[in-house]
Amino acid sequence: MRFELSEDQTLLKDATTSFFASESPIETSREVSEADGEGFSRGQWKKLAELGYLGLIAAESAGGAGLGAIELSVVLQQAGRVCFPGPLLDVVLATRALTAAGGQDETITQIAAGEKIVVLAQSDRVWPDDIGGATFADGHVKGSKVFVPFAASADALLVTTDAGLVLAEGPFACEPMPTVDEAQRFARVEFDNAATLIGDNTLVEGVWELAHVGAAALALGVCEAAGEATIRYSTERETFGKPIGVYQVLQHRMADMVLRTESSRAIVFRAAWSLDNGAADRGLVAVSAKQYAVESANEITLASVQIHGGNGFTWEYNVHRWLKLAMTLDHHYGARNDLLERALEQVEAQ
Amino acid sequence: MDLSFTAEHEKFRTEVRAWIADNLKQTWSDALRDPNNGEHELIEVRRAWQRARYKAGYLGMSFPKEWGGRGATGVEEAILAEELARADAPEHVNFLGIGLCAPALIHHGSEEQRRRFIPPMLAGDEIWCQGFSEPGAGSDLASLRTKAELDGDSFILNGQKCWTTFGPWADWVFVLARTDPNDRYGGISFILCDLKSEGIDMRPLKQITGESEFGEVFFENVRVPKENLVGEVGEGWKIAMTVLGYERGAGTMSTAAHLGNGLRNLVKTAKELGLDDVGTRRKLGKLVVDWQTLYSNGLRTLANMADGKAPGPESSIEKLFWSEFDQRLRETALELLGAGGQLSRFYSGARPDVDWPRDFLWSRAETIFSGSSEIQRNIIAKRVLGLPQA
Repeated sequence: MRFELSEDQTLLKDATTSFFASESPIETSREVSEADGEGFSRGQWKKLAELGYLGLIAAESAGGAGLGAIELSVVLQQAGRVCFPGPLLDVVLATRALTAAGGQDETITQIAAGEKIVVLAQSDRVWPDDIGGATFADGHVKGSKVFVPFAASADALLVTTDAGLVLAEGPFACEPMPTVDEAQRFARVEFDNAATLIGDNTLVEGVWELAHVGAAALALGVCEAAGEATIRYSTERETFGKPIGVYQVLQHRMADMVLRTESSRAIVFRAAWSLDNGAADRGLVAVSAKQYAVESANEITLASVQIHGGNGFTWEYNVHRWLKLAMTLDHHYGARNDLLERALEQVEAQ
Repeated sequence: MDLSFTAEHEKFRTEVRAWIADNLKQTWSDALRDPNNGEHELIEVRRAWQRARYKAGYLGMSFPKEWGGRGATGVEEAILAEELARADAPEHVNFLGIGLCAPALIHHGSEEQRRRFIPPMLAGDEIWCQGFSEPGAGSDLASLRTKAELDGDSFILNGQKCWTTFGPWADWVFVLARTDPNDRYGGISFILCDLKSEGIDMRPLKQITGESEFGEVFFENVRVPKENLVGEVGEGWKIAMTVLGYERGAGTMSTAAHLGNGLRNLVKTAKELGLDDVGTRRKLGKLVVDWQTLYSNGLRTLANMADGKAPGPESSIEKLFWSEFDQRLRETALELLGAGGQLSRFYSGARPDVDWPRDFLWSRAETIFSGSSEIQRNIIAKRVLGLPQA
């Protein structure tokens, strides 16, 4: 048994860490996401493609690196640390859905090469009583989807419809859906687009476990980075002639950050390993990893705002970027209340 | 990464599971609910189970062969502990002796001490208790004042130990005693003391559960042969810290299995009582998520151990996690079950599966013993984060 990453995975981790540190430290991520526009950098997107990140889990025959959930978690953990802007996880999930559908190697190759952006459009509701959804007939998709990530930049969308999962060709009629997190570019999409049926909607369910683990890895990165920033601040900021990190009441809050970060790391990588190895309990572990790591990211970033005091409430400090990413993750890639219900169902079924 | 158990480990698990199924006649929950079982009878239930395990080679498995073990790895110990917890088997009666004193003897004791003390400890013939805490020395253990003065071939012990788990049932106590008043850490020695010695007064201490599992011991000019010193004079603190590391690190897998039983019982009880509203389900779902995280922490420690890594500060993280999780579990249980959840297990109308009020109260001890939650957070702040100290 071994918990540590393999040699290859460690190399990937080191390379990814230095890539994000030089290419998009949090200050750069902020400039990109806080500016008007697409919400990510096309130049960086090209580099992601060249370095193989977009095709990370796609098959080598489709231009991918053929890696698994552990490697994806290694990469997303680093992306989460710097709040890397753009639909990185979303296109990776699209390659997984297209792979499962079969016969879609051309599109997967284009995604991996950075030539096409394809993401999933599967949310039908904003509010519980909304009636939404998309329909497919005669090579055409109609209806609407909400919370489609970076839809205005997408060349194609994977849409769940009454007939099954379809690949719809852009351009799309998008209405931006601004949220608390300025780094997101969610949109409501009104469809009247040409589309091809590629399989039934269970394809999306099959991608869901990977979505949980990917989002959990992003959250783990948030836990780490927000925790480290807080600890640094507590040794620099002085009150009553002493650094505030000397006060036990703050030390214990920061010890809780360690507790949550390390526990998140344990379950996130166990979940990734479980997916890659087809463990029987992978569904329960993936759901739990998403919920625990994202809950932790929210707890840690909120504590971070508090410990940063007045500075934590300013736009200038980075704390709110991590907080807002944590808030976004709470309701996407598996929403909190659904995950809690599914975790319980799995134990009831045991 | 590799979190799988080998075929050999799986074979061992099957073997253990079959042995437990053949040999465990009564679960611990059933033994607790039997009105004929007072505290003394429950000790005998545990002693009998310990003997059965010892005879079958399922006790102290990681000890060297000559000391009744089979030189097993931590992975096998964890599998055994997990299967015992899953089966709701009683805890053995000598967990302090086997968990703390035996490792101290194996790593720091003399050959004579090992030969004399380890076999009856494993067989359950001699029960051991731990003489560490004092009325004035709990979290700040190094401020302990019980004195051991050398007089010819003996140490003379004077002082008081308290919260001595298993004290009222014990035959022997391993004591941390002060041999030098001027050296805070280097003035402490590790001494084994027969509780039948003259000058010992052991008094049961009644706990908030109504049980007297622990006691307080008074030493008045108690004469202990010099051979009962473990290691050298002044090495007691070092030895205690090594063995407490075992106590803090090793058991998370078994704790996760044990708490998994409690959680499954709560889920089952809620279902049977028709408690299926959204609020209840979310509370239970959250416990499931935390329980899975606890298990993941244990699995990481186990994998690191198998990978040859020395336990680090994660033992503090695990202690905090499981003890606080257990409290949340019992708090949620009492919240969901209402007034009925407070019924004594001996009342015929109580839920048959768990003694919720007793387990709730008992969980309060867990964030206090073996390094309180506050001490664990201090350790993390100091050793992991390196935060400036006041």
